[in-house]
Amino acid sequence: MNKVNIIGLDSIKTELMKRIMDLGVVEISSQDTKLTDPEWTSYVKKDGNENVVNNLDVKISQINEVLNTLELYDTSKRPLFTTRKTISSDEFRKKLEENNSVSENVAKVLELNKSLSELCSEGNKIEASILSLKPWSSYDIPLDMTETKYSSIIMGTIPNIVEIDELKSQLLQTTDRCIINVIGSDKDQYYCSFICLTEEKEDILEFLKQYGFSAVIFKDLSGTAAENIIQYENSLKEISAKRETIDKRITELVSCKEEIQLFHDHLIIERDKNKILSNMLKTDTTFYIEGWIPEVSKDKVQKVLDEYECWYDFKKPEEGEEFPILLKNNAFSGPFDSITELYSLPSPSNIDPTTVMAPFYVLFFGMMLGDVGYGFLFSLGCFIILKKFDIEGTFGKMLKVFFWGGISTMFWGVMYGSWFGDGLVVGARHLFNINLPLTYVWVDPLKEPMTVLLVSFIMGLVHLFVGMGMQAYMLIRDGKIKDAITDIGFWYLFIIGPILWLAGDMIIPGSPLPVIGKWMTLFAVIGLVLTQGRAKDNIISKLISGVLSLYGITGYLGDVLSYSRLLALGLATGVISSVLSLIGSMVGGIPGKIMFVLVFVFGHTLNLAINGLGSFVHSARLQYVEFFGKFYEGGGDAFNPFTKKTKYIKIKEEI
Amino acid sequence: MELTMGGFLAILGAAVASMAGIGSAWGVAIAGMAAGGVIAEDPKKFGPTLMLQALPGTQGIYGLLIAFIIMNKIGVLGGNIAALTTPQGLMFLAAALPAGITGTVSAIWQGKVAATGVHLIGKRPEEIAKAMVYAAMVETYAVLALLASFLMVNGIQI
Repeated sequence: MNKVNIIGLDSIKTELMKRIMDLGVVEISSQDTKLTDPEWTSYVKKDGNENVVNNLDVKISQINEVLNTLELYDTSKRPLFTTRKTISSDEFRKKLEENNSVSENVAKVLELNKSLSELCSEGNKIEASILSLKPWSSYDIPLDMTETKYSSIIMGTIPNIVEIDELKSQLLQTTDRCIINVIGSDKDQYYCSFICLTEEKEDILEFLKQYGFSAVIFKDLSGTAAENIIQYENSLKEISAKRETIDKRITELVSCKEEIQLFHDHLIIERDKNKILSNMLKTDTTFYIEGWIPEVSKDKVQKVLDEYECWYDFKKPEEGEEFPILLKNNAFSGPFDSITELYSLPSPSNIDPTTVMAPFYVLFFGMMLGDVGYGFLFSLGCFIILKKFDIEGTFGKMLKVFFWGGISTMFWGVMYGSWFGDGLVVGARHLFNINLPLTYVWVDPLKEPMTVLLVSFIMGLVHLFVGMGMQAYMLIRDGKIKDAITDIGFWYLFIIGPILWLAGDMIIPGSPLPVIGKWMTLFAVIGLVLTQGRAKDNIISKLISGVLSLYGITGYLGDVLSYSRLLALGLATGVISSVLSLIGSMVGGIPGKIMFVLVFVFGHTLNLAINGLGSFVHSARLQYVEFFGKFYEGGGDAFNPFTKKTKYIKIKEEI
Repeated sequence: MELTMGGFLAILGAAVASMAGIGSAWGVAIAGMAAGGVIAEDPKKFGPTLMLQALPGTQGIYGLLIAFIIMNKIGVLGGNIAALTTPQGLMFLAAALPAGITGTVSAIWQGKVAATGVHLIGKRPEEIAKAMVYAAMVETYAVLALLASFLMVNGIQI
């Protein structure tokens, strides 16, 4: 990563920014800290074009709304994975010029969308009115007639816990000049009307209040309830007819979705061009940019800057200075960036672990899934998807990771003699009476689990040692050779020593290995006790810390035992497969054959899914917890270059 | 076929092992309930939440696996139960305990961790790997229990 400072003339700014964007390899950092420094502010001020940015943002969000609407109406078959279409920048420009009706169409869709939502809310309102009128539908007096010269009509609801007959008799005791009608009822209340003398109205209302009566008044309605309902229903029909025409008109506009997407991407580019200005400083006639350029792209940028006669300089980041992180790996380990990124990018002072991690990841993944059939399906699936679709980003990288994982799974399947477990062998025998001579190359983990367990531990040990080696490398790189010897070297001895001491005789019988191991252990213990407490002040606490540090061996023990999952998960895949074969081959004859095929297909799909997930998660865990735990420190910020962050169209530059 | 106390105890062992499924059902349910809430906000997260929900399901499978190995070894699946002595039966029962008990408990707790993972990706979908690793940390002990049970069952002589 190189820090770059650029000063250029205002007249070429727009042109240059476009070229830099096309290159897409320069991160332009924010200059806000400089703007608080009076020494800077006396010369320069902040560039920027906030109004333009805001206007574009509004437009973009409108277009997003339009695209979402069109997406709903688009009935054409969608591809399994959405990918960006690649076109050249000339084509992009030409298409933009051709689509002069885009803004018109956008406005049309927005308009239609608006009227659609208006119709929707109107419809809802009417439906609510219908609901409130429904209970009164058998009430045949016009709703606007609430009084005559001497009488009044009271309408309202009474909770249905009230005994309505009792209420009637009670009311008739107070006055006999009142007609009570129960119009309807539902699970909560009665709907009633009371016809009474106007002079007694207040008394009756007072009386009814005790029973939880609440008056209902229909404002602005004339005619009976039933008439009103019919009217409302007619207008509902009208609304739905209107909605249909609008639907049709939007559907017609679906055909211009691609143009609008193109326009969307064009606006995004314009917005970003304007937005980046706020990261730049300017004087009356010049501009100033500070940013970061990856080492590999330096020449390309230099050429452009020379062309525009800018002043510039490249600097390596200073000691301790934070810089953005761009992982750079080879063709095999490149996709494994995604695994590292999922954890966290390395901090600037750390190293990129991807290249070292990748082979272990593949190895462990394969060991845990360990089946030729599954590995083949995994690799084939990923391969087909990658060939058919141009998938970018993390997902595309993941597919490549799984492709390699599948290859490794096939390798381990051959070693373990697992072809869909024993499914292929049993299937061939059960279905076609053929004996397939598929057997293991190295070991059958179901019969000799201890061998595989031992190998798992050894692999774990190697993995851990490599992790510690990375730490040692970094210490040496930073000139702390002594720390590398005491903190890593002694631990190497303290782990290898006891193993040789205890098991040396089994490795090479009669060799001096146990003796060597004994002395290694002793040397390491003394070394650790003397050095691990060196940060403490006095000799006693130095020694105590040193002795206590020996307890750290339990951590290493736990780490190594953790690799037993390499065996355990491999066993899980294998045993489930053999259960499937057993269940499938329980019945003989034609039905038995059909059953076998069914059990085989469903069972192995499920087994592949759950164990594939398990292998992915657990091999990631072994990297993140055991391996990264030994040396890795995350927390870096991703390199975020000034480039075309388009969503639908991928623009290929001719450079 | 001869019915012995040993045979019964061995079958009981297989039953205990496969009862890790209780924990898995529990754990998957906890994670599933959390997932339902997140889906209500954003149905597109179905895939990632389903992956997290599936994680506590493995203990049930591990339990079944041990049950199957026991059944296979004592011949239940072939229809000929070996005449086991009572100590042999007890050994099978003992060997089944790690898979059954550790499986059950770890699945419930893994379900809880998976549920918080679901909430995490509800807010930050890009952090799914971290959520899965947290859940896998719990699963480690189920894997170890599976291994212990497997090695024990494997080692019993009949």
